[in-house]
Amino acid sequence: MKSAFVAMMISALPLLGFAQGPPGRGGPPQPPRSPREGAPVDLTGYWVSVVTEDWRWRMVTPLKGDFAGVPINPMGRQVGETWDPAKDESAAQQCKAYGAGGIMRLPGRVHITWQDDKTLKLELDSGTQTRLFHFGSEAPANTQPSWQGYSVANWERPPRGEEQQNAIPVFATRTGLRGRSLEVMTTKLRAGYLRRNGVPYSDKTEVAEYFDYRKHPNGDEWFTVTTVVKDPVYLYNPYVTSSDFKKEPDGSKFRPTPCEAR
Amino acid sequence: MRRCGLLTIVAALFVAAPAAAQVDFTGEWGPLYHEDRPERMPGPELGDYMGLPISDAARRAADSWDADRVSVVTQYQCRPHSSDYGMRGLGNLRVWRDINPANQQLTAFHTYMPAWGSERTIWMDGRPHPPAGIEHTFQGFSTGTWEGNTLVISTSHLKTNYYRRNGVPSSDKRTFVEYWTRHGDILTVVTVVDDPVYLTEPLVRSQNWFLDPGQVTLPMSCEYVPEVPGPVADAVPNHLPDTNPYLTEVADWYGLPLAATRGGAETMYPEFRLKMGPPHAKPPAHCERYCVCSEQDGCSVNPPRPRR
Repeated sequence: MKSAFVAMMISALPLLGFAQGPPGRGGPPQPPRSPREGAPVDLTGYWVSVVTEDWRWRMVTPLKGDFAGVPINPMGRQVGETWDPAKDESAAQQCKAYGAGGIMRLPGRVHITWQDDKTLKLELDSGTQTRLFHFGSEAPANTQPSWQGYSVANWERPPRGEEQQNAIPVFATRTGLRGRSLEVMTTKLRAGYLRRNGVPYSDKTEVAEYFDYRKHPNGDEWFTVTTVVKDPVYLYNPYVTSSDFKKEPDGSKFRPTPCEAR
Repeated sequence: MRRCGLLTIVAALFVAAPAAAQVDFTGEWGPLYHEDRPERMPGPELGDYMGLPISDAARRAADSWDADRVSVVTQYQCRPHSSDYGMRGLGNLRVWRDINPANQQLTAFHTYMPAWGSERTIWMDGRPHPPAGIEHTFQGFSTGTWEGNTLVISTSHLKTNYYRRNGVPSSDKRTFVEYWTRHGDILTVVTVVDDPVYLTEPLVRSQNWFLDPGQVTLPMSCEYVPEVPGPVADAVPNHLPDTNPYLTEVADWYGLPLAATRGGAETMYPEFRLKMGPPHAKPPAHCERYCVCSEQDGCSVNPPRPRR
C-alpha cells in the first residue's frame, strides 16, 4: 500500500508542475545562458523620465539650503550650506550632481543597450554620462572612484529561487515565482550631490537600485527604478526614491548636454 | 478508511493546483516620505499643480479652492483619502490576507491606513468588477492578478476626490492600476491613474514603504465640528475665476516660473525646462520654507538654520 501511495504521488507531480527542474534536465548539459540571453524583461531602448514627483527639486535647481525630504544629518546640512556652484565650476566639478547617487532623478533621457552579453549600458543625455552594469563581476581591486562608480548587476531572484525547492512539495508550492527585476549595486563612487543644490553624498556611499519593467493597459512601456542610497557620513537612514521612465519609439529626443553646476 | 485518506491526499494535490506567483506583502509597512514630503506631510502649497497632467477643467476647479471649505462644509470635514490618493498621502500601511481554508488559495489582500481609518479589499479570487451603475466609494472596487512577482491591482468605482489636497480634483470616472513590487524590506507601489475628466495623460507616481514589524497603527476618529463662528448656512468658500490672490505664492516662495506651477502634461517632460521661462519673481537667496523636512527633524515652515 505504501508503495502505491508513493507511486501515485510521483505520478501526480508532473501534472502539478512540481517536476519542472532547471532547463536542460534530462538532456545533455547546456551551457549557462548569458545575462543577456536570460533577461526576463527587455530594458533596451530609449526612455524618458516623467517627472510627476519631487518636481521642484528635480526640474529646477532648488534653493540653497533646501533639504526637504532627504534624511540628511546635521553634518550633511552643514556641508550643503556651503554649496557654491561657482566654486564647482572653477574646480571642474560641474558633474557632482550627475553621479550614480542622483542621476536617475535628473530630468532627461536614457538609452539602454547591451554592450556585450554581460554588460548593460545606460547612456544618459543629462550630463552626457554612461553607466555600465556588470553582471556577475565584482569591482576589480584597483577600481578608482568615479561619478558612476562600479555597478554589479543581477536579475533578481526570489530569496529561495524561482522554482519548486521545498523538501516536501505536497505541503507548499513555489511554482510560478519569477524574478523580473534588475538589481544593481554600485560602489566606488566619488563624492557627489543627491540634488543639484549641493545636498551631499560622500565617497562612502553605496547605491542599490531595482529596475522594474511593466506594460500599462494602454500599451505604454515603463520602468521604475527604486533607488536606495546608503551614506554613513551624511544620511541618518537610507534615502529611498523611485523614478519612472516611459519608453520612446526612437532616439530623436535624446540630446546629450554637458554637466551644469547651477 | 486508509484508501479514503490516500484519495483525499491525492485529490488535494490536484485541487491545490499551483497558483500564479505569490509574494507575501503582509505586515506593517512604514511610509518613506523621501519624495514630495512637504506636500504629503504638512500639505501642499496653494496653487501647486507641478507635474500633474491636469486638464483645464481641473486647473479651473483647483483655482477656485479655498481651504476654509474644510472648516465650513461638513461634507469636506471628514472626507477620507480615496484609495489612489491614499497610497500617495499619509500612509502607514498594514497588509493582511485571506486564505481559503479549503484549498489554501489566496482570496484577498486587505489594507488598513490610519488616515480616516481607510480599509480596503483587493480581491484575488478572479471575480469580475461590478457593473458600472453600482455604488462608488472612496476605496473603490479592487481586483488583483500577478505578473511575475509583481501584484497588479485594478480599481474602479471610485468617488470624486483629489490628486493633491490643495483642491486638484479627481473625477468619479477615473480608474487606476497599481503595481506592487517588493525588494527585500522595501515595498514600491506604482499607481497609474486614468481620468477622462481631469487628466489629459495617465498620472504615474511611485511611492515606497519599508517593512516595520514594530509599527502599531492607531485608530482615527473624525468628528464634524463647526470650526468657524457665526452662521455660514449654504456658504461654500471659494474663489471665483481669476480672483484667487494666492496662486502665485508657490512660485515666489521657491523661485519658480509661474507656468510650471500651473501643471499640465507638458510640465512632466524634460523639454519643458527649455520653455518654462524665468522665475515669476526674484528667487530668495536661501530656502525659507520647509527647508528641513524629514523623519528625524520634523517639518516646520521656518526651521532654525544650522550654526556655521
